[in-house]
Formats: sequence, structure tokens, C-alpha cells
Amino acid sequence: MFKVTPAGRVLLHAANLTVIVFILLPLVAVLIASIQSEKSLQADTRRVLPAEVTLDNFTVILTKGQQRGRIFEQATYLPENIKSFYAAFLNSTIVAVSVTALTLLFGSLSAYTIARLRFRWTLFLLQANIVARFVPVIVLMIPLYIVMRSMGQLNSLSGVILAETGFLLPYAILILAPYFDSIPSELEEAARIDGCTRLGAFVRIVLPLATPALAACGVIMFIVSWHELLIPLILNARPDFMTLPVVIASLVGDVFVFFNLMMAICLLALAPTVILVALLQRYIVEGLSAGAVKG
Amino acid sequence: MVTTRAGRRPWYRREMSARRFALILNLPTLLFLGVVLAYPVVYAGYLSVHRVGLAQLRRGEFPFNGWDNYVRVLEDPLFWVAIKNTLIFTFITVGAEVILAIAIALLINQTSVWTSRVTRFLILLPYAIPPICNGLIWSFLYSFQFGFLNRILFSVGLIDQPINWAGNPDTALYAVTVPYIWRTLPFAIILVHAALQGIPRDLYEQAAIDGANAWHRFRHITWPMLQQIIAIILILRTAFAFAVFEEILAITQGGPGDATWVAAWYSYKITFSPPNNFGMGAASAFILTLMIAAIALVYMRTVYRRVTL
Repeated sequence: MFKVTPAGRVLLHAANLTVIVFILLPLVAVLIASIQSEKSLQADTRRVLPAEVTLDNFTVILTKGQQRGRIFEQATYLPENIKSFYAAFLNSTIVAVSVTALTLLFGSLSAYTIARLRFRWTLFLLQANIVARFVPVIVLMIPLYIVMRSMGQLNSLSGVILAETGFLLPYAILILAPYFDSIPSELEEAARIDGCTRLGAFVRIVLPLATPALAACGVIMFIVSWHELLIPLILNARPDFMTLPVVIASLVGDVFVFFNLMMAICLLALAPTVILVALLQRYIVEGLSAGAVKG
Repeated sequence: MVTTRAGRRPWYRREMSARRFALILNLPTLLFLGVVLAYPVVYAGYLSVHRVGLAQLRRGEFPFNGWDNYVRVLEDPLFWVAIKNTLIFTFITVGAEVILAIAIALLINQTSVWTSRVTRFLILLPYAIPPICNGLIWSFLYSFQFGFLNRILFSVGLIDQPINWAGNPDTALYAVTVPYIWRTLPFAIILVHAALQGIPRDLYEQAAIDGANAWHRFRHITWPMLQQIIAIILILRTAFAFAVFEEILAITQGGPGDATWVAAWYSYKITFSPPNNFGMGAASAFILTLMIAAIALVYMRTVYRRVTL
């Protein structure tokens, strides 16, 4: 914007370098720890780069503990949950995809009516959604458990999907409503004069125009659902229904799991959302600001 | 079957009133909000004034015991430690995030500097990391014996004795603020950066002609234009920092001692560790929820004020 003096330029480079190091530090740490053995991490506790590189941590996770490789050869114990990595990855995917689809579907229906048909009660619904977005999961734990138990939804993926959809719908509505509000209503009016029903105008005219907002909202919903720990933790106790964050949280107190294995499973769990963020950055940026500022 | 006028068209071609249309389209949302949010929150309030332990949960009968759970929570010194820690944690994380967000947003706005473009590309990365993974990664960074942070400091020669970052009761609470700031900072930066794009360029050009230096330009143009977005960040981040959980679970589990017990951790432990006092857990979570609800109301009044009929 303004001409930067050479000295200022050096300062800016230095500031950027600091920020970049801060952002990358945890990711470098997780990468370095996951490609070495427990022995090499313990042998020299002052060494940054691994003495030798191995992929055994990933092999043991990805083969459900079948192929132990050299570094787990003598291990007598492997946590059961390490072996359920595939199931957890699949469960996480099913949950996140379903939650994304459901929040987009129901969220866009609500957001559209809130933006277009301004009745007293839709305004109240918007306000309720704003407040609902703040509800901390911690207060819902036991009530959700009891509600889902009474509906027979404990230890199932559908219970987690229902709970997360309800929990995330307010956020989806807050992201989508300002976008629907910004689409000129003349287009729908023209369509309706030509004989389109309200629903037809929404599905054929408004929704296609709203694809960028749906993409923004969808990718945010997927990420938040992929990260959710407490809801699946409370509702699912059986290993076959655990999602990735639950499996990872179960390793926290396990003294037999060392950092190398822990970081490897973390790396596998964070990879999908990192890829999404890298590919769809523009949409996420738009969605995050839409969900926070506009009314 | 009775044929009505509207009945000449198939049902999906019939025109319905706006009121009915809005109600039908909102049915799923109302159902979900009711079953997953409204009812459970009310139910938590119900549980908080009843005696609920494992035995009662199994039987499904909860004897009423008035304000007893609240009295016990409020008389528990550990609860007040948790509240104090939560306030300190929130104050540090939110304060640091606002300052860092402004600084970094201005930094990545310098598109003529190539490193700023690199930073801009990387800025959203922490948003992609699952909170529980973030916690575990930092527990490796902070580890006293094997930690990555100590390894780096050793190799550049800054220390010759390992530092016990998260295991020292004097520093643990500060140590857990950093991972949380790391993970949630992108959100604040993006909001500030978006607000910066909305400031008309000619304001700066005019100021430059008038001989204003960089500080004056920030103080009299940028800062006033950022105030609204900073209010939003303050409110949102405060509300969410109040409920911090995953990083505490992964890094310190409340320890050492009670150094990092925060409000959500208190409710979690009261609920899930023996003797599993669900009533007290609900009461403490309800107190936290009321605090956050107060913040939510402020948010609605300030940010969504323009939403009127």
C-alpha cells in the first residue's frame, strides 16, 4: 500500500518469519516425533532431528497392529484402540459427511425463511440461534446421554449424527442467513410470476446462486464435526462406534503409548482437515466472517 | 376425494401461504433445536436441583433436593480455584489474541512483501487441527524429559537444564494458554483482515498527503474502523475460552495439583470421576452456561442490533 523502507522491509520479514515459525512449530514437532522410534526419542533427549527415520509407527496403525515392524517387535502390549484406527476413521468420515449434509439441508431451509420471510417468530428463531451457538457442550453431556438413551441411540453413529446436527445447526444458519439476505429478491419474484411455487423458486433460483455460501458453510461444518470430541465421547462407549478424536483421547492416560505412536495417529487424524483447509481456504475465510459479523 | 380449486394442481405445484411455507421449512430445525439443545439445557437445570448419582441414573428416579447441589458447588474451594483459573486463562488468551490478530492482520496486509504472502497462505492452518490432537502435540512440545521445545532450546544453547513447562504449578496455567491461542488465533486474524479490506484506500492516501505518519494513520483511521470487529472477537472468544476443555484434558488433566482446573474440567471431573455426582456436575455446568449466556446476550445486542422487522 505504501512504499516500505529497506529497514522496514527487514523488520517485516523478521516479523513474518516469527509468525511462520510459530505456526509451523507444532506441525514440525508432530512430523519429527512420528517418524522415529521410542528408543531414539529417549536415547538423546537433546536431539531435534531423528537419529534414524522409520515408518513403523504408521505401519503398525494402518495394519491394525498386524505388521509390527522393527520398533514394535518386542512390544508386548498395544492399546486396543490403536487397532481400531480404520473403524474410527470410517466412523469419523460417516459422521462428518452426514452432519455436513444434514446441517446444509436444514440450515439452508431455515436460513432462507429467516432472511426472506420476516415474521415475528422467524426473527425470534434467529435470536434463538444466536444464543444457541454459545451453549457449551459440557452442560449438555448428561442430558444428551439421557435423551439419546431414551431414544435408543446410544452406541450408534446415528445418535452422534443427530446430536451434532442439532448442535451445529445454529452455526450453519448464522453463516447462511446473511448470504440469502444478499441475493436480490427480484429474481424469485420474477420466477413466481412465471408460475414457480415458493419452494420451486427457492430450489431452482436461490440455491444455485448460493453455492459459494453452501460450500463455505459445508466445509466449516465438516471440520467442526471432524474435531468434535465430547459428544461422541459421551454417547459411544463401544470401540466399534468411536470416532477418531475419541480414540485419540483414550490414549491420553495410557502410560504404554509413547510420543512417537501418539504423534503418528495425531498426524493421520489431522491430515484430512489440513488438506481441506489448504484446498478450500477461500470458502472457509468467507464462511468464518459471515458467521460472525453480518446480521 | 374432494376436489378443491388448488387440487387441480398436484400438491407440489400448489401455492401455499408464506406463513405455512416458513413453518414447514423450519420444522426440522425446530425439532433439532428442541431435542438436542433446548430440552437438554432445561433438563440440565432440572438435574441440577435433584440428587443424581449412578444409582439414581440407573433407576431413573431423581429425588428433589432444592439448591443443595448449588450450595455444595459454591462451598467447594476447588470450584473457586477453577473459576479463578478460567478467568485468568480467558483474560490471557483473549487479550493475546486481539493484540496478535491486529498485528498479524496488518502484517499479512503488506502484499508487497513476499514473506507476508507466505504467512497469509499458512495463517489458517491451525484451524484445521483437531483440538484433542493440538493438545497432545503440545504435550509433546512441553514434555519435561522428551519435549520438543526443550530439545530446540538445548540445541541453540539457550538452556542447559530442561524446563518443566506444563508440570510446574507456577507456569502450567500460562503454558496451556499458548496451544489454545495457537489454535484459535486464525479466526481472529481472518475477521480483522476482512475488516481491513473494508477500509477505503483514499482515506490513507488523503492522510499521507496531509503528512500523517504510520502511527497516526493507524490511530486515526485503522483503529476506529476496527473497533466493531474487535468487540465481536472479544465477545466470541471470551465465551468460547470460558468453556476450554480439550487442551486441558490432553496436556495437564487439571494438574499439577489444581493449577489448571478450569470450569469445564471441574464439571467433567465431578460428573465422571467417582463418586459421579451428576447433580453437582449439572449445577456447576449450569453456572458456567449462565455466565456464557450473559456474554451471548451482549453479543446479540451489539452485533445483531440491526436485525429488526
